[in-house]
Amino acid sequence: MGSLFSALNTAADALSAFQQAIDVTQNNVANANSPGYAKQVPLMEAVDIQSANGVVGGVTEQTQDTRNAFADAAVQQQQSLLGEFQQLQTSLAPLQGILDVSSNSAIPSALTQLFQSFSQWSTQPSNATYQNAVISAAQNTAAAFQTVASQLNSASASTTKDLQSTVAQINQDAAQIQSYNASVAAGESNPGLSAQLESTLENLSNLADIQTLPGVGGTVTVLLGGQTPLVIGTQVDALQVGSDVANAVNGPPNATIVDSNGNDVTAQVTSGQLAGLLSVRNSLIPSLIGGGQQTGGLNTLAKSLADAVNNLLEQGSTTAVPPFQSGTALFSYNSAPPSGIAASLQVTTGFQPSQLAATDPGPPEVSNGIALKLAGLDTDPAGQINGLSFSQYFGSLAASVGNAVNSANTSAASQAQTLAQAKNLQQQLSGVSLDEEAVRLVQLQSSYQAASKVVTVVDQMTQALMNMIQ
Amino acid sequence: MALSVEVPSQYGDVRECIQAAQRNLEQVKQLVARPSVEAGEAAAAILREVEVQLGCIAAIWKSQGVNADPELRSALEGIQREVGLLAELFAQTDRLLQSWIGAIQSKRAGYNGRGQTAPLVLVNRVSLEG
Repeated sequence: MGSLFSALNTAADALSAFQQAIDVTQNNVANANSPGYAKQVPLMEAVDIQSANGVVGGVTEQTQDTRNAFADAAVQQQQSLLGEFQQLQTSLAPLQGILDVSSNSAIPSALTQLFQSFSQWSTQPSNATYQNAVISAAQNTAAAFQTVASQLNSASASTTKDLQSTVAQINQDAAQIQSYNASVAAGESNPGLSAQLESTLENLSNLADIQTLPGVGGTVTVLLGGQTPLVIGTQVDALQVGSDVANAVNGPPNATIVDSNGNDVTAQVTSGQLAGLLSVRNSLIPSLIGGGQQTGGLNTLAKSLADAVNNLLEQGSTTAVPPFQSGTALFSYNSAPPSGIAASLQVTTGFQPSQLAATDPGPPEVSNGIALKLAGLDTDPAGQINGLSFSQYFGSLAASVGNAVNSANTSAASQAQTLAQAKNLQQQLSGVSLDEEAVRLVQLQSSYQAASKVVTVVDQMTQALMNMIQ
Repeated sequence: MALSVEVPSQYGDVRECIQAAQRNLEQVKQLVARPSVEAGEAAAAILREVEVQLGCIAAIWKSQGVNADPELRSALEGIQREVGLLAELFAQTDRLLQSWIGAIQSKRAGYNGRGQTAPLVLVNRVSLEG
């Protein structure tokens, strides 16, 4: 039998072990809703009695982090994809409004009015009212192109701002991870820090596709696209937004992502909000209004329409009988750079109604031949773009945005489900269940209540024996 | 968990019963230092054996008269101290666990109409119909 001191010591150790076990539960319950927290499980190892060495038994207490690297990586990957689709939804929604195909929207309505004015003018080519109506419709058409071009350019500028703010957020998260690494390197490590890191990594994966690798001494290395270092130990390699000036042939340069050494790492951004923004900024908006490497559908439409109308008018005559006088171009635009055509489309300065050439000199001569050809221009195969009339071509531009929005909506909805599944798996492995914690304690209490009842009886019996021996 | 309960070679010998009870109490001390359901159940089983051993001593002393050997008295006093500490330990443990269970229950299911924590219902079997 050990001494009273050793008995007290063991009892104190036992209570301390209980307290530690409860501390883990306390920590789990308090952090049940903390983002990124992985539940802790107490691990107890009994220490054998070694009376000779003065060790009277007890417990060594450790806690096991239930964090699962595979589950965490799966959540980050799915989060990254969802971030991209949600960003596409956000960035594309305004474009859909700009390129509305309903008859009341700017460009389709203006085109309809323009062709109707040509048709009306063809009935009485010398009628000044009808001639003025043509010029007015042409001005409305040019203004509609200018408005849409301006709105698309604003959308492009806004996307560039979003890109800069997203890159700033990425750098901010990288700095937080750097701070975590510094704490770990200084020997500090606890579930709270780990939860903070996990939460930051999840935020970061929403912004860009990242890979995390275990670094030296428990630190975390974060790579962008699996190649470009963002954080290594206590070093942050901040990203920046740049411009692809070298390839800007047709208009404003594409946006690029540049690493801390000035290298273009845009190609490594394949998901996350950053990828969504790059896709809208460098691909979708330039396909409409033009950019460094493409002319843009709206400029193609503006140029084709203006050229077709101008060619016919210049072939015609302003006089119905010889000597014929050539007509004047109705529209003018600036094609340098090509991405500025729609924005610069206008009715030729100083254009007068009398300059409208309605007569086709032939042979055979037709007094309203050009006016008739202009009225039928939208359905004339000769004036089509890629086999589409002007109205249809505008419709195809709007449809391309609509398809992109639909695709983003569908992908985001499906990706949200996938992310929920990944998070569910992560929760099963690492999440805190209050029921589970309560059941654990109830079971523990029940088992010790049984022992408590017996020890009370044993205590009474010992007292009875002591009374007998007095 | 492998249970190792000390049993005297003959329950009719007071000295052997006391020694076995002492060794069993040492085991219980080790077990309570490892808070787990298994350890609690094992401690209860060993304490029941201690109860039997002490019961044997009482029976022998009643039938054969009390042996007031100072060594036996000292050993018995030691057992009394150990048992007293264990009884206090279990009482405190019960209070500690009860407080925490209450805290979790209130966080999980709130309070009942009388301001007490809502009970945690452990469901063993669930039948689904329809």
